[in-house]
Amino acid sequence: MRLHPFTFSFLVFFLRIVFIVKSADTDRAEKFAVHRSLSHHAPAVAFESAHTNNWAVLVCASRYWFNYRHMANALGMYRTVKRLGIPDSNIILMLADDAACNSRNHFPGCVFANRGHALDLYGESIEVDYRGYEVTVENFLRLLTGRVEPSMPRSKRLLTDDRSNIFVYMTGHGGDEFLKFQDSEEISAFDIADAFEQMWQKKRYNEILFMIDTCQANTMFSKFYSPNILATGSSQIHENSYSYENDDDVGVSVIDSYTHFVLDYLEGINKTSTASMEDLFAKYDPVAIRSHPGVRSDLFHRPLEQTLITDFFGGVAHAEVMTARVTEGHTNAPSLLDSPFAEIDPINEGSGHEYELVEALPALADWTRDPLTITLRAWGSLSVMGALVAWVTLKSRWQRSS
Amino acid sequence: MSDDKLRDPSTLTFEQPCIRRRILTSYLVLMFLGLPLWWSTTSIQRLSLPGTRIDFLSGKELRLPISIAVDAVQSSGVLCISFSRCQSVVSCLLNALQNERRSRQSAPPDAYIISLTENAQIPTIQNKHLSIPMQQGQIANRTPELIMSLLTPYETPSPPGTFRHLVVKYAPRYRLAFTLLNGDATAGRAVIGWDVVKMISRWIAPILEQTSELYNFTIESQIQFYAPLAFEPQVLSNGEEVIHGLTQENLKVFINSAEWTLASSVSNDPVLHFVLFIPSISHSPLHILDSTQQPTFSNAFVLPQWGGIVLLNMPIDAPPKFHLTEAELDQVFSGFQVQLLRLIGVPELPLGVQSANSDRPLTDFQLDTLYRQRAFENAGSSKETLQSIIKLVDQISNMPVGQDVRDDVRESLSALEVLYAGVWKAPALALQHSSRALTLASRAFFNPGMLALLYFPAEHKYAVYTPLFAPVAVPLVVTLLKEVSAWRRAIRERKGRTAL
Repeated sequence: MRLHPFTFSFLVFFLRIVFIVKSADTDRAEKFAVHRSLSHHAPAVAFESAHTNNWAVLVCASRYWFNYRHMANALGMYRTVKRLGIPDSNIILMLADDAACNSRNHFPGCVFANRGHALDLYGESIEVDYRGYEVTVENFLRLLTGRVEPSMPRSKRLLTDDRSNIFVYMTGHGGDEFLKFQDSEEISAFDIADAFEQMWQKKRYNEILFMIDTCQANTMFSKFYSPNILATGSSQIHENSYSYENDDDVGVSVIDSYTHFVLDYLEGINKTSTASMEDLFAKYDPVAIRSHPGVRSDLFHRPLEQTLITDFFGGVAHAEVMTARVTEGHTNAPSLLDSPFAEIDPINEGSGHEYELVEALPALADWTRDPLTITLRAWGSLSVMGALVAWVTLKSRWQRSS
Repeated sequence: MSDDKLRDPSTLTFEQPCIRRRILTSYLVLMFLGLPLWWSTTSIQRLSLPGTRIDFLSGKELRLPISIAVDAVQSSGVLCISFSRCQSVVSCLLNALQNERRSRQSAPPDAYIISLTENAQIPTIQNKHLSIPMQQGQIANRTPELIMSLLTPYETPSPPGTFRHLVVKYAPRYRLAFTLLNGDATAGRAVIGWDVVKMISRWIAPILEQTSELYNFTIESQIQFYAPLAFEPQVLSNGEEVIHGLTQENLKVFINSAEWTLASSVSNDPVLHFVLFIPSISHSPLHILDSTQQPTFSNAFVLPQWGGIVLLNMPIDAPPKFHLTEAELDQVFSGFQVQLLRLIGVPELPLGVQSANSDRPLTDFQLDTLYRQRAFENAGSSKETLQSIIKLVDQISNMPVGQDVRDDVRESLSALEVLYAGVWKAPALALQHSSRALTLASRAFFNPGMLALLYFPAEHKYAVYTPLFAPVAVPLVVTLLKEVSAWRRAIRERKGRTAL
């Protein structure tokens, strides 16, 4: 069948419509990704975090030997959060874990993150919670939302509550609004955004720090719409994230550039450090990292300069001293305990503040998820297709009859 | 002959229009028959949830009446825990009390009895009976506040210095993990045993027994011989004596979670930790410093929602190995007891009130208040959970809702409705209903079947379906169009022929 030139132009027109719809999405993504908004809407009183426990979810979504660096990224983060005081029981590590004992590993049982083999990340007491083929999109979403089978052991559950700060780190191969899981499936930015919303609804977190190192990483947090999430990523849309260095003895790249610089900065942080997230973000150097890291803080309601790094990477935020020496017997004396630094955190107490946010959510929600729009779009494209087919048939018939 | 051999194609049996049309129709009929199958296998089950019932419930306020019989007045008043009103009711009551002091009347059996006595010095509680001292016919001004804070401490705003933020989230089951940590047993003065069973039965068990309607506890204990600190305590020298100090910052990072294993992970119940820490010789004596870096008398601290820690410095002349006995542990476990009470949310008695029941650690006032408080919390959070289930199912269009989810939601809702409808004089009953509602609502929310399908943009769907269906659909549609036009042409020709 010969196609009339007009049919071609029609096709081009159709494709252009699809493209416009698509690029409208990505424009939004870009807006969030590039723009580092430091504005905040929190009241101007004490900005101490209201959390009492910290959790970390570290995901390496790649497998196979040539993705060594992703394993090293996740293990580097694991080592850091553990050093800064998050107990192993509160760290969920999802790792293909096929690097350390890979037959191609010249250093069996070791994973290095730098050229000189200075530090063995695998070393001792690594607790991988989801290993190998257990690292799937489904398991990750089940972990976040808490929708696991009743038989799931404690070590594979995220037992958080409304006083938990969660650090979510992801690394792997990704693209515009998706992250690939082990070459077999992918998770989209919408899925993570929905999972976080479900966590928020069930009060499964106080605050989340979302960090992702992959190509076009900033698109992954562009769809978030739940409050109290601080997100940062390694690269803008249409931009790759590169590895930092190769090791000739190992034979592959050993760590990604963005993660390398983040870990490098965190090495200077200890458990009682007062460095803020703003300090970390200020250290981002697009030239050294070779991509443009992004920060999204419009959902986060504390100023970044007063948000401590240890709020997410550390262990405990408060301790209450019992002033009097505990003495014999009397249990009802109320004055036994006193709290030298028992400030009542306004963020925690003023729950009305949080509810305002919930009500504001529909405005934040992405218009592309609106069911009406989706239906309209589907029918629109269907009718365009129908018109095309009709056009071709009628055209050929006219030609024949003429 | 050649004319005979080359027949007109339309006269061949398999080229006859009716055969061709039948073949075409059978394809179409098959597709139509397949449609319901395709529909039922690709759609997800989304049962409707009782949204209106939940909305209706969310507008209601939970009321748990408290009966107070005043032991001097004719009538017994019923207080509702609606806070603005409560205070005025109490003061009215007390006014009445002052004005018409008459003989004792029969109170409802579950009422709290408040009586005035002239022979007591401070307010005293015995079971459900509160005696307030009275001097020269006057009672103290702060009596309304006292009664308020006894009965409804959770309604007043939390003043600084209270411990409400320490309280763990409600769970029906907890594990208590008692750990004796030797900083470094190899260096000497090692504690190799403790009378933990006896101590628990003396200090902890009475509380567990009294709160058994609310919580179910499992206890585990252990001794560790090497538990290094992850930091160096400050060294202070006070003349001839050298002591080691923990600053406020140190307290936050005291738990060396990377190296200490404090609890087993056998179940998913929340764990409350109680740690008795024996500093190593190189770090003893170890004291807690205040904000001016001066050692305090305190030897214990609490980590919110986590547990309590007590430091115990061994005397210098202690033997290299020894067993901690009751006398030494009494002090430690009374500390653990206070910490436990704070962590599970037992309200403190207001300042200056004493309990006459020395055999029981908690008064009835405290227990009932705890029940009511937890009932309020549970009712609130189960309502929130139900609402968020409705909201999420609405919002995320590819989230399945199965039969078990709907059943759980319904049952939780009925438990809540019973709770809201009834007037629960016994706080323990209200608690039972609220706890059941919360358990079911959470189970519905966390149902593994509720996991939403992954999101794919519409473009992806076309990209997947088009290569699959386009090759099949094009010949079918084209043939159909051809057949229709051929049929119409045939009709036209027949008409033309008849017209001729």
